[in-house]
Order: sequence, then C-alpha cells, then structure tokens
Amino acid sequence: MRNKINFYLMEYAINAILRQRYKNIFIATTLTFLIFLLTSIFFITNSIKYELNSTVDALPEIVVQKIKAGRHYDIDTYATEEILAITGVVDAVARVWGYYYFENAGVNFSIVGVDEFEAQYKESLKRVVETSNLMNAQESSMVAGVGVKETMEMNYYKDYFNFIKPDGTLKRVNLVGVFDGDTQLESNDMIVMSKADVREIFDISQTKATDIVVKVSNPDEVATIASKIKLIFPDSRIITKNDLNISYQNIFDYKSGIFLALFVVSLFTFFIIIYDKASGLSSEEKREIGILKAIGWRIDDVLKEKFYEGFIISFFSYMIGVILAVGFVYIFQAPLLQNIFTGYSQLKTSFELPFIFDVQTLFLVFFLSVPVYIAATIIPSWKIATLDADEVIR
Amino acid sequence: MILTPEVLAIFILNTIFAFFGIIAFYLSVRIYLNWDLSSTSKAQYRLEKQSYLAATIIKFIFIIKVPLFLFFVFTLDKISNVLTGAMCGAGVVDATDTGTALFVLKIINLYIFAYWIALHNEDIKHENQPFLKQKFAFFIIAFFLFMAELIIEGVMFGSIEIDKMVSCCGTLYSSTSTSAISSIFALETSLLLSMFYGIFLLIVVFYFLKSRYLFAISNALFVPISLITLIVFFGTYIYELPSHHCPFCFLQSDYYFVGYLIYTLLFLGTFYGLVVGFVESKKEDKLKSYKMSLIFNSLYVILLTSFVVIYFIRNGVWL
Amino acid sequence: MIELKNVTKSYEINKNNIVVALNNVSMKIEEGELVVIKGASGSGKSSVLSLIAALSKPTTGEIIVDAKQISKLPDNFASEYRRDNIGFVFQKYNLITTLSVKENILLPLVPLNPDALDADAKLHRVMEMFKISHKKDAIIKNLSGGEQQRVAIARANVNDPKIIIADEPTANLDEKLSLHFIEMLRELKKLNKTIVIATHDPLFFNLDIVDREIEMHNGVVI
Repeated sequence: MRNKINFYLMEYAINAILRQRYKNIFIATTLTFLIFLLTSIFFITNSIKYELNSTVDALPEIVVQKIKAGRHYDIDTYATEEILAITGVVDAVARVWGYYYFENAGVNFSIVGVDEFEAQYKESLKRVVETSNLMNAQESSMVAGVGVKETMEMNYYKDYFNFIKPDGTLKRVNLVGVFDGDTQLESNDMIVMSKADVREIFDISQTKATDIVVKVSNPDEVATIASKIKLIFPDSRIITKNDLNISYQNIFDYKSGIFLALFVVSLFTFFIIIYDKASGLSSEEKREIGILKAIGWRIDDVLKEKFYEGFIISFFSYMIGVILAVGFVYIFQAPLLQNIFTGYSQLKTSFELPFIFDVQTLFLVFFLSVPVYIAATIIPSWKIATLDADEVIR
Repeated sequence: MILTPEVLAIFILNTIFAFFGIIAFYLSVRIYLNWDLSSTSKAQYRLEKQSYLAATIIKFIFIIKVPLFLFFVFTLDKISNVLTGAMCGAGVVDATDTGTALFVLKIINLYIFAYWIALHNEDIKHENQPFLKQKFAFFIIAFFLFMAELIIEGVMFGSIEIDKMVSCCGTLYSSTSTSAISSIFALETSLLLSMFYGIFLLIVVFYFLKSRYLFAISNALFVPISLITLIVFFGTYIYELPSHHCPFCFLQSDYYFVGYLIYTLLFLGTFYGLVVGFVESKKEDKLKSYKMSLIFNSLYVILLTSFVVIYFIRNGVWL
Repeated sequence: MIELKNVTKSYEINKNNIVVALNNVSMKIEEGELVVIKGASGSGKSSVLSLIAALSKPTTGEIIVDAKQISKLPDNFASEYRRDNIGFVFQKYNLITTLSVKENILLPLVPLNPDALDADAKLHRVMEMFKISHKKDAIIKNLSGGEQQRVAIARANVNDPKIIIADEPTANLDEKLSLHFIEMLRELKKLNKTIVIATHDPLFFNLDIVDREIEMHNGVVI
C-alpha cells in the first residue's frame, strides 16, 4: 500500500504504450472525447445553475398567487393589506405582469408593470424607474431589454410597438430606453412599462393583480409566514425562494440525468471496446511478455506495468478532456450544446456562461472515467500476465 | 428517488464492483475447494493463475473504494441541499431507515478489505502460501457483506424522498432525541473520556509488552470509544460550540477539511493494530505494524486533545 | 549444484495427444561447469533448459538448484529465483528492438525499482565486460548482429547470476560471430559461472572450455 512509485516501470509503460501507437491513440481519443462531452455538459449546467440561482436570489422571498380550478388567476389587490398585517412582513407589493406573445417573431415578451411611488422589489426595476424617462412620458412608454429591441427591429418596429389588446384593438407604446437587468438571463426578453399600461394590454382590472410579492425581514421565518398567508387565503399558492431553488436543481439534475443515461450507454459500449482491444494480442506483444517473464518479471510485476499503462492512458485522456471542455465551454461558449439547456425560454437568450470552478464535478468525471477504464483492462491484463512464457519464446 | 449525477456515478461504479466481485467470489469458492499446492495438474496450475485474478480484483475494489467513500460523503453533503431540513450529510443519513446501517457497513467493509490485502501481502511472502485457503475463505464471507453494502446503498438512495422533512444533526445528536445515536449521550462525558484515554493507555502498555492479541483487542475497542467521544466531546471543541455534535460537518471546507485527517489517522492506527493481532508475520513486519499503529493512534489522540487544550488556552474556560 | 532427479515433462496437446518431451531424465551439473547438451531438435534439450530456469514445471520429478527445490515454486518465487540466479541467452536474442541498449540491459531490474546509482553500477559493469559501452543509447534495431548479441549477453548478466543458460545461441550466426560468442563464454567461465548450453552446432564439440557433453535423444539422456 505504500510502495514508492516506480519510475523505471512508468518509463517502460510509456514506451509500451507508444509501441502500440495506433491502437492506443484510438482508445485515448475515444476516451478523451467522451470525457470532453461529459465534462462540458456538467460545466454548462453548473454555470446555468449559478446564473439561475443568482436570478432566484434576486427574487422576492415569497410570491402569492391565487389559484382557481387548479389554474393561476388574478389576485385581489386588497390582499396586500391583510398580508402586511402579518408580523415579520416588511412589504407586500401587488405585481402586474404577463407574457405577451408576439406572433410574427414567434416569441414571448415578459411585460412588467411599475408604479412610480411604489417600492420596487428588484434593484434593476428601481434603477429603471429612476433613470429612465418612463415616468415622465406623456404617452404610453416602455423600456425594453436588448433582446426585445432586436426582435422588434427585425420586425420593423423601431421607436414604438403596437400591442394587440384582448379586444383586438391596438395599443401603441413608445420605446424610450433599453436596459440590462441584474443578470442576462432575464433582461433579454423583458419590457418595463407603467402598471396602467400593462393592465390595459392584458385587460386586468384596477382591483386585481397578477400576484403579490412579499418581503420578509428574517429569511428563517419565511416558512412560518408562508403558512400564515395560506391560512388567510386558502385558495392561494405560495411559492418561496427555497422552493424555486430546489425545483431548479431538480430540473437540472433531470436534464443532466438524461445525458448521463446516454453517457452510461456509451460507457458500456466503450467498456466492451476496451476489453476487446486490450484482449487482442499481437504475437509481438505476446513475445514481449514472454521475454519479460523469462528475464525474471513476476506476474505481479506484469500486472503492475499493465495497470500503469491503463492509468496513464485514462488519466491523460481525463486531463485533456477536461481542458478541452474548459476551452469549449468557457472560451467558445459551447456552441450547439448550450442550446439544449437554455431552451427553456422562448426568446433565444444569448448570454455568457460564467466560469464556475467546482471540484466535485472534476471528481465526478474522474470517477466515471478512470476507474471504469481500468476495470475494463483488469481481465485482459491478467490474461496477458499469466501467459506461459515457456511456450511463447520457443 | 433521488438521481443526481453523483448518485448515478456511484451506481455505475457499484455495478462494476458487483460484476467483478461476483467473479472474485466464484474464483474464491473454486480455489478454496480445490487448491492443492503439491499437485502438478493442469487444474491446479489454472487455479494458481486464477488466484492472481481474484487478488487483483479485490485490490482494485479496495483502491477505488477508499476515494469513493469520500466521494460518497461529498454526495451526501450535496444532496442535503435539496433535502428540507438537512444541513449536512448527517441529515441525509438520517433521512432513511438504512442510512446509518449503510454508513457503519461501509466502514466495516473498508477494514475488511484492508485486512484481506494485508493478509494477502503476508501470504505471498512465503513459498508455501500458508494463508491461501484462509484468505479466500475470508473473502467468501466478506463478499456477502460487500454485496449487502451495494444493495443497501441502492435501496438507501432509492428511498430518499425530497419532500420529506429530515432532522439535522442538532436534533440527531442531542440527548433529548430518540434516535439510536442519542443513547450514547446518556452516559456521562467524564466516564467516556476516561474510557477513551484509558484504552489508549492500554494500547501503549501492550505496545511495550508486545502482547499481540491484547494489543489488537484494545485497538478494536478504541474504534467505537473514539467515535463516541469524538461526537460527544471532541467535536464540540472543533466547532467551538457545545451543542454541535455532528461527525460530518468538520469534513467541510469551513473547518479546513480536518475531518479527513482525523478519520484517516484513526483508521490507519486501528487498522495496523488489528493487523498485529490477526495477521501472522515475520518479526520485523510485526514490529512495523506495532509502530505504525502506535504512531497513528497517538497522532489521533494528540490532535483531538490539542483542540481542547488550545480552546482552553485561548478562552480560559472549558466549553 | 544443478540436479534433475527423474524428471518427466509431458504436454497435453489434446485429450488423445500427449507429447512426452522428457522421460525420466536425471542429470547433475557441478558449479563452474560448462556443459553442452546436444541432440537434434525435439530431443528435449530446450525443455531441460526451461526447467532449470524455472520457466516450466516438471510433470513428475524434482529439480534442485543449490540445494533448493525449484520445481514447485509459486510463480512469483520462481520469477525471483530466475531473476537472481539465471541469465538466459536466447537463440533470437529476444531484445526489445525499439528500446535502447541501456534500457534493454536494465530490463530485468525494472520491477525492483532499484536505486539509480546501484542500477548504473550494474549497467556499466556488464557493458564494460561485453564491450558495448560505446553504444549505450543506440536503439537495438540500428545495431549489427554482433552488437545485438553482446547486448543479449550483457542483459543476461546484469544481475550477476550464477547460472548462464543459452538455447541454440549460434544457430543464426555466421562463423565469425559464433566464435566471438565462444570468446564471451570464455570470459564468463573465468568468473566461475555455471554454464549450460543447448546446441547442435559442431563448433561446440571438443571445445576446450566445455567440461562435459550430455547427449539427448527423444527425451532421454543417452
């Protein structure tokens, strides 16, 4: 268990690997590719999770929605009064927002309503209210995210947009500014305008709101306050930040789980290939092992050498695969692969994947590659090591 | 059912372990029944070759098992983020009926596999391979424990429900809870501590007396008493919090991963102690095992005691 | 010093076909002797060498080297015995052609993970002895036949074994190289090594350094 590393043996192992150059290049390339693919997927999901978590962090602790017949319904604005009365609640704001489907482009815009004198629940919204001309404008105006602006321009809308109201009439809203929210994920498809305008576009009455966000002074009390709200409004659905965190993690685990399942299949195939390749011995290889044993190498020595070979190949492939993945995901921003995971929003968001260094991911990929490869070589290596030297060198 | 990528990785490796473990088991049975070193038949010759395969498989499983165990602990920690109420691995272990049993079984299996390798290494030093049948018989028994561990691990991960509330270490390891672990709190701390240092003293005494079996037995006793006192007493000085008894949390980065050092020292110390008693070896090898055991156990005791002493020096009072 | 006692070696090709390579063979070779085992191919002389080197095990009988029973050693002990006591020179040299002279000679020592100075000392000793030092880093396939021959003998001697075994060493060589080989054997005999050679090359018959000839035919000693 505490043997020093045998550098002579390692040198011999490296030479042996190079002697079977083509076979080993094939194996190393396949292994590197698999590791690269797997690591890239983990890196992408880690980064998106991080982005998402930042988004979630910026969200209010509690969101209260009204549920009627199992579906989301407009909630009464007077509910904020009752919620504010609960101890521990710092603020309760009625939100008016929705998704507007822009048919020509086939995308959804998120439209969020703000009111000048209300406390904003998000930093970015606060900034929008303060810095833009939104509140000063005479006519209906809006501030939009970069992605929205681009979509509109592609459809020949430059300074304004015509929303189609539920009754079929048009409402013209002027574009007075462009903004970027706290994270890129959300700012892309978002439009901010006055609450009154939003109400008009979606035909939501004055006494109703889309939902209510509740700000709580002590995060540990969220669960208690949530249950109190539920008591007051039995027909409401309470979503806490924690719930969102958990569900996001589950979605990602689910999606990466699918890929992992595919990976398992390819791993199994790979296992068979390795086994086959390692078992197929040229007469040259057999002769070499015969020589080694004839000059005094024990079975254990040959096994150790084979293990060194296996470890070198798999570890080398692992390092190259991981490095390539880092380059692919963080420098080239993972073309193609990224879309599989960000397809959850209709508007094609393009954002920069932040570099997240997660040791556990590296260990995870390691365990999925190196031990599996070595396992595949156990029986072939043993067969080689126990060859009868006697017959081989005649 | 919880299926994170980490859990899936563990399942994949467990499947590989099971596959190779069964091969090793089959070989062990054949070897145990048919081995005859004096025979020159082809069958015996084949058995000799196969004993190498079995040994290689067992060594492979052990080499991967050790880091995998650490990875397992890491995974439990990660899962604790999705489990309501769990703040570290302890909560996840408690989330199912099988969690604690699995943990104990994993540790036992580590000792078992390490022992097999020690026995094997001693065995091949002799021309007549005196422990051959013994070691494969031992593996046959160990195999069942090993398979049990793999199966229970599958069951455990399969039965974790993310919407069920679990307890955190605060409730698990307190004297008022009803979990199995809490019964150890019923005993007086001073009694436990005197047992701890007492058994360590016995280890030192038997080291100088070189009495094999007593040395090994005191090491075996040292394992449970160390773990108990770690949870009840020493852990609180690492956390500097009288109510924090968790044996997991000091594996995390907040405590500079000192937990890994602690457990490694304890494992190595007690393992070598057991080797002294249960593996017949030459004098100088035995002396080496004696020494290793004493060194690692002493380091363990010193490390833990220093947490207490340093706290006292810094703060002037005990917790 | 080397003793074969009633050794029989048979190979089972299949259930009905058993080849008897050696049939109740006994022989004794003293320390420091240079013995030539002669006979046609198939006479069993290669099997004798293989048994002495513990590369194979006898079906019945015993092989005793230096008062030690080597016939039933488990593999790792047999290999250790071979490594420490036997220097095998093969008919086809059996060098690894893509490695250098140095690497080939050190090959028997590799699993031991020797101390670098120690390994170097052994390396230079045999390279000097067989006059191949100047080609230390040359790759085998670039060497002449004679040079390869010297590397093969050097490798066989790197661990300073007591017994040198050569199986048809001159079968592929011209007369000049064969004579050269015999010269190297002379050097080894001076060092009091026990040398066993299996050959049917007439150059070895009635050679001054040969102490004894053993003749074999169809698996028995004549």
